[in-house]
Amino acid sequence: MENFAIYVPRLLPQEENLAPGHRACIGCGEVLAVRLVCKALGRRVIVSNATGCMEIVSSPYPTTSWRVPWMHTLFENTAATASGMEAGLKALNRKGKKAITAKVVAMAGDGGTSDIGLQALSGALERGHNFLFVCYDNEAYMNTGIQRSSATPFGASTTTSPAGKLSIGQTSRKKDLTAIVVAHRIPYVATACPSYPFDLINKVEKAAAIQGPAYLQVLSPCPTGWRHPSDLAVRMGRLAVETGVFPLYEVENGKYKLNLDLPKLRPVMDYLKPQGRFRHLPAEEVERIQEQVTADYEELKKKAGVGA
Amino acid sequence: MVNLTIDGRQIKAREGMTLLQAAREHGIDIPTLCHNDALEPYGACRVCLVEITYKNGRNRLVTSCLYPVEEGLSVSTNSERVTANRKILVELLLARCSGEKVIQDLARKLGVESPPFRPEYIERNACILCAQCVRACQEVVGVSAISLANRGVSREVAPPFLETATACIGCGSCVYICPTQCIKMEDVGDTRFIHNWSVEFKLKKCKVCGNHFAPEAQLEYITAKANLPPGFFDTCTTCR
Repeated sequence: MENFAIYVPRLLPQEENLAPGHRACIGCGEVLAVRLVCKALGRRVIVSNATGCMEIVSSPYPTTSWRVPWMHTLFENTAATASGMEAGLKALNRKGKKAITAKVVAMAGDGGTSDIGLQALSGALERGHNFLFVCYDNEAYMNTGIQRSSATPFGASTTTSPAGKLSIGQTSRKKDLTAIVVAHRIPYVATACPSYPFDLINKVEKAAAIQGPAYLQVLSPCPTGWRHPSDLAVRMGRLAVETGVFPLYEVENGKYKLNLDLPKLRPVMDYLKPQGRFRHLPAEEVERIQEQVTADYEELKKKAGVGA
Repeated sequence: MVNLTIDGRQIKAREGMTLLQAAREHGIDIPTLCHNDALEPYGACRVCLVEITYKNGRNRLVTSCLYPVEEGLSVSTNSERVTANRKILVELLLARCSGEKVIQDLARKLGVESPPFRPEYIERNACILCAQCVRACQEVVGVSAISLANRGVSREVAPPFLETATACIGCGSCVYICPTQCIKMEDVGDTRFIHNWSVEFKLKKCKVCGNHFAPEAQLEYITAKANLPPGFFDTCTTCR
């Protein structure tokens, strides 16, 4: 990944397809990701958006932030709706009603992707629809009040996995959803983070250009749910990547590629410390998380064939 | 507001807008190669040409990226004359840059299979001479490290005297903006290379985490330009 600084951001498209004035929390990392994704996609898209933070904050009746065709769907059928849209466009084009060249994009949170919407997603990927699925992963059901999801990492305190005398918070590890998606053998899978905007934009453009299903997992720091200061959202994303908790990689036709291979990972404590949801963790649990992260990262490096 | 017609559609545009902006705002697609929203219009590639008809019936071809909207103007973005002219431009570009995806895609859209020239005239030049890199360096970064050199067939983007771009700060704007990715930037260890301009930069090492984060020359340039206290860039953005 190229490291672009100060001047390059001025060269991005000026057009905003997600209007300002929405009701996201201060310092929301997810809305930042949505904005960048919309910027990268341009206007020739149709969005199918699952219930979740993004649907709630962007479309309080009778207003909307979306400057592209957008449809709100339920948690469980986002990918199914997107499949239907794609099939509908195909049918219209076949019947010669109108040549419509629009990319169908499904967007959902981690709950709508890894828990409730998983079977619809799996079905759509398996059928090979030409669409892009973007998962905004903020690691819990933030919209309804921070309930745990299967994407919540080990040790995180949420309202349904509270930390206390007898509990250390979430007891299971985060579901490796990208691996599940890769197992469908689709053309393009990638992880991204709005803290690395050019990488995110590149990946969205690449994924949108692909014929067939593509999947993006975007880590979206959430000041409210992760309980870190609201000015640290971008830094939290960088720390997640630099500590190896959320490595940036892409899988093209089954081939893994690490986008940011750091010479040395930061200790995970740098990432856990600013977050209130990990505050209760004793040193030995942090040690355990560190071991898991290092092991996972080494495994990923092996898959990508780096530094073997 | 200015009233005009684009492809038969009545359109209201703001005073001072270009035809390209007005068309794009209404979802009418005009291909471009040298246009970038962040830069001043330039009119080098000419594939954005459209046919305009004045109120008195006279018509002519103009580049839509430079021509301002006018009351009562009638614009056609895909008339026979426009398509024929655009096709010739793309054939010439395809002969120069036969391996570039942007040109190939545009050619396919216009129905150009291959340039109508003998094979010995087909080149695989990577640069389409859109000059976006030159303009970004001048307008956005403000250092003018590179420029267009020579004329005619030997025209190229180059550092001064075809040697080293001494004014370059290694920001990578040219690398990012290039539509054909023909400018190569590489970070190896603590050095950044931009091969096309034969420059290399020492990267600054963060005092806290030890990662290399930006070229020293660039940080010095920004420190001087923004009047920052010395030592502001001792740490990287994550550690600051």
